[in-house]
Amino acid sequence: MEELFDQLPDKVDELIDSFLSIPIVGDLNVGFTQYDFWLAVAIVVLLVLMFTFIKKQSRSLVPEGRFVNGMEFVVEYTRKNMVQDIVGPTWREHFPFIATVFFFVLVNNIIGVIPGCHPGTGCIGVTAALALVSFIYFIVMGVRKHGVGGYLKTFSHGLKGPMGPAIWLVEVFSTFLRLITLAVRLFCNLFAGHIVMGTFAILTSLFATQLAQGISLMAFGSAGISLLWLAILIIIYVVELLVAAIQAFVFAMLSAVYVQIAEEEE
Amino acid sequence: MGVIGYGLGVIGAGIGIGLAAYGYTTATARQPEMQGALFTGFILGSAFVEALALIGFVVALIVK
Repeated sequence: MEELFDQLPDKVDELIDSFLSIPIVGDLNVGFTQYDFWLAVAIVVLLVLMFTFIKKQSRSLVPEGRFVNGMEFVVEYTRKNMVQDIVGPTWREHFPFIATVFFFVLVNNIIGVIPGCHPGTGCIGVTAALALVSFIYFIVMGVRKHGVGGYLKTFSHGLKGPMGPAIWLVEVFSTFLRLITLAVRLFCNLFAGHIVMGTFAILTSLFATQLAQGISLMAFGSAGISLLWLAILIIIYVVELLVAAIQAFVFAMLSAVYVQIAEEEE
Repeated sequence: MGVIGYGLGVIGAGIGIGLAAYGYTTATARQPEMQGALFTGFILGSAFVEALALIGFVVALIVK
């Protein structure tokens, strides 16, 4: 039993190495890595879902069937809980952007739960790009609302005297920190989830393959333990499905909160 | 060492998520009609806390 656990660190190292970007075509500078491939798959899935939904929905005024009803539920939930409640009166113009971000991240995350897939959001480059898009979006919205000078002034929250510049500096710093936290939160959640799932999958296979080396009492014992690892793996799998949805929700909602902060009146 | 560091880091995050869940459940018990808005806040808060723990996890993996 001990020697099985001794094999684990090497196998986990191998697993972590498989999460590095490996180019399929070209090299790392100009090329197409496995993350790009799954990103493209996610986009195709999203487009197929969208066009099927539009086609099926336009057939009748009353939504019919599970698919149309389910999609309408998700879209309405996004609209009510993530945009209307948070952004406020100007929600109508921000809904397309926030919904796009939400569905993009959601489809990517859910593809990541399928074993063997390397979703785009499991790669720091993609989440950083998404965070940058969201960052630029709320800054542009703030500038459009207040003007450049007015937007810069909102960071000091209307404080006068010596406290004004100090608070302004802290607020500007925390605004730039949002860029990092948005990217790192999504990436770390997905990456950590994949590593944990992979570790338990490795444990399951290590213990189960003892049977292949010869039938003995010991082998049956370790196969029994592998069932335990499998049970834990299934539980973690369900948790990861939840995390995939929650992280997409959090990413889109934080984008909405930042837009609301950028647009709020003093 | 990395494992010990991760364990230390997770203590704070554990307390943080526990406090968030405690606040959410007590507030929902007092005002069940506020549940939707409270849930949003709870998820947001735990996302902030959880990110710290996950950064610890990834750093523990990367830094040997």
